[in-house]
Amino acid sequence: MTDGDYDYLIKLLALGDSGVGKTTFLYRYTDNKFNPKFITTVGIDFREKRVVYTASNPNGTTTGKTFKVHLQLWDTAGQERFRSLTTAFFRDAMGFLLMFDLTSQQSFLNVRNWMSQLQANAYCENPDIVLVGNKADLSDQREVQEKQAKELADKYGIPYFETSAATGAEVDKTVITLLDLVMKRMEQCVDKPPAESANGNGATKLGDAQPVEKKCAC
Amino acid sequence: MDLSLLQALDRDRILEVLQRDKQLRIIEEDRVRRMKYELQELRRKGAKSFARQYGERTCARCQRPLGKFWNSGAVCRGCSHRICSKCRVVGGLDWKCTVCHAYREVKFRTGEWFLEEKAKKFPVITDKYETVGENLLRTYNVLSHISVVPPTPPPHLDHQFLNRSMDLKNSKPFTKSVENLMVSFTSHIRKISNSQNDVRDDLLTVASSRSGSDFSCVAQKSLSDTDINKCSRLFKVPSLPNLFKRSKDSDQEGSSTGAEEDTSFSSEYSGGKRGSTSSIGTDLSDTVTVSGELELALTYNTYTSCLEITVGSCRNLSYGDSKRRKCHPCVKLHVLPDKSGKMKTSGKRNTTSPVYNEVLKYDIERHLLFGKRLQASVWHSGTLKKKVFLGEVLIPLDGWTVEDKASEGFNWYPLCPKVCDGFTGHYSSD
Repeated sequence: MTDGDYDYLIKLLALGDSGVGKTTFLYRYTDNKFNPKFITTVGIDFREKRVVYTASNPNGTTTGKTFKVHLQLWDTAGQERFRSLTTAFFRDAMGFLLMFDLTSQQSFLNVRNWMSQLQANAYCENPDIVLVGNKADLSDQREVQEKQAKELADKYGIPYFETSAATGAEVDKTVITLLDLVMKRMEQCVDKPPAESANGNGATKLGDAQPVEKKCAC
Repeated sequence: MDLSLLQALDRDRILEVLQRDKQLRIIEEDRVRRMKYELQELRRKGAKSFARQYGERTCARCQRPLGKFWNSGAVCRGCSHRICSKCRVVGGLDWKCTVCHAYREVKFRTGEWFLEEKAKKFPVITDKYETVGENLLRTYNVLSHISVVPPTPPPHLDHQFLNRSMDLKNSKPFTKSVENLMVSFTSHIRKISNSQNDVRDDLLTVASSRSGSDFSCVAQKSLSDTDINKCSRLFKVPSLPNLFKRSKDSDQEGSSTGAEEDTSFSSEYSGGKRGSTSSIGTDLSDTVTVSGELELALTYNTYTSCLEITVGSCRNLSYGDSKRRKCHPCVKLHVLPDKSGKMKTSGKRNTTSPVYNEVLKYDIERHLLFGKRLQASVWHSGTLKKKVFLGEVLIPLDGWTVEDKASEGFNWYPLCPKVCDGFTGHYSSD
């Protein structure tokens, strides 16, 4: 994968509490494998994947144009001791997978903190984020209800997915959704004249499935 | 638990990751440069040429004449040029001319949009733009390199050094442990070196100090557009906004985009040239007709990061002193446009086909070769210290890559007259 034969280099970053499954999620996505062992990430890491992206019009129809996208997926340590290091890497990422563990209420409560970390450290005030509730396969241990999480995601105006790195459910869809958001953001940033940057009130302006007008208030 | 040991291990792990990132970044930078170069080429081709009067009704891209009533073209909203219907790319309801379209595409594909957005929130303060990873890698690498040095220093010296160490101030995102390491490492240096300045120059600011005055940009690893912007005069690869702006300016001045680029290229070139050679050239009474060829081989040595130019030989040179039919030729090398890296072969006596076989080395990082050209000129050094110009060769240094086997062998290049003359003839629009 080390050639420059791609059209876009898109850098995404996974964040969230320690043990929510960021590494396994990315491992499932890039290699379609699952490693149930818990190996804590040291500081930062990244994985790569080449995907084909099909451009779509704002109204949802595909234009038929396809692009080769090289994804650089940054994996961050959830542990507190690496915090200053990991948050520093936020600014170089174009989109974020904010993950929590569906079997841990605490990790869900911390989403709020991660959001403020993102606002402070990401490249702009309202970057593209997808909220991910992982470990959906462990339904008997579930502590966070879908409704709860969906409400929070709606509040932030970001998409929400329940995934399982163990089964692979929704993993691809999550990343592709985020990629789509980033690609749309890109067009908006380039096509909107720079004068239109008055909207600066945090992350409440993010559109999810419907094509809400997003402005680059960065 | 031994914390420092753990941190050292952690550090190495992170370092590995950052190294991998660096590899990806090198590929990406290459790709970005290629795209920008292609855009530049497209602009050049699509630009109004000097041959046509500005204001004449022609399509700004294909130069086809436009009619007054039918096929009259329309003004592109991007560049305000009048464009014929064939040179448009329709997207949605609006259209753009081919160049504006390509410009937009490049902005996407290079990730420039992202850098611009990021710069709004995190203004680029230093000359270099770099990612956090890059920054860390640079610092860590220095550290790990140094950590071999054992002893612990007297502590009172540290602060003094810290204050002087520029690198420390610049690097923002540090973990505490790194800072600590930095402190101990700087003090190591302090201890082992007689002259701390020497060591600091050598190790801490390797890149930037090496750049010297000629290349303020040598230190850069990641070239963001803001950078290229700043250094475009050195690089001769205008960043996107630069390219864009230029075309607009040139519009108003009534000169053409491509031509302007070229003239700025050439004027700089000839401007630099005036420094040493053309002053001799102009007051030369006996200008010599240029003839003959020069044999050169170019290779890039990735290990030593230097360009190796082997000057093989010349053949069929003109006599530098035509009256006495004498010729003592030598070959001078410069890297344009900034005329850095002056190098010279030895002089050969009484020959019009001298054989040199000398290897001249020019230290430069490979990506910095982009936009640069090698100027190899042949001179007759006669009596009275007066040098006579026998011809020159200009070779673009960005066209070939290390893998390019063809560039590794010797090639014969026909000698040309001074380029500044030729250029002004072609591009006198400025």
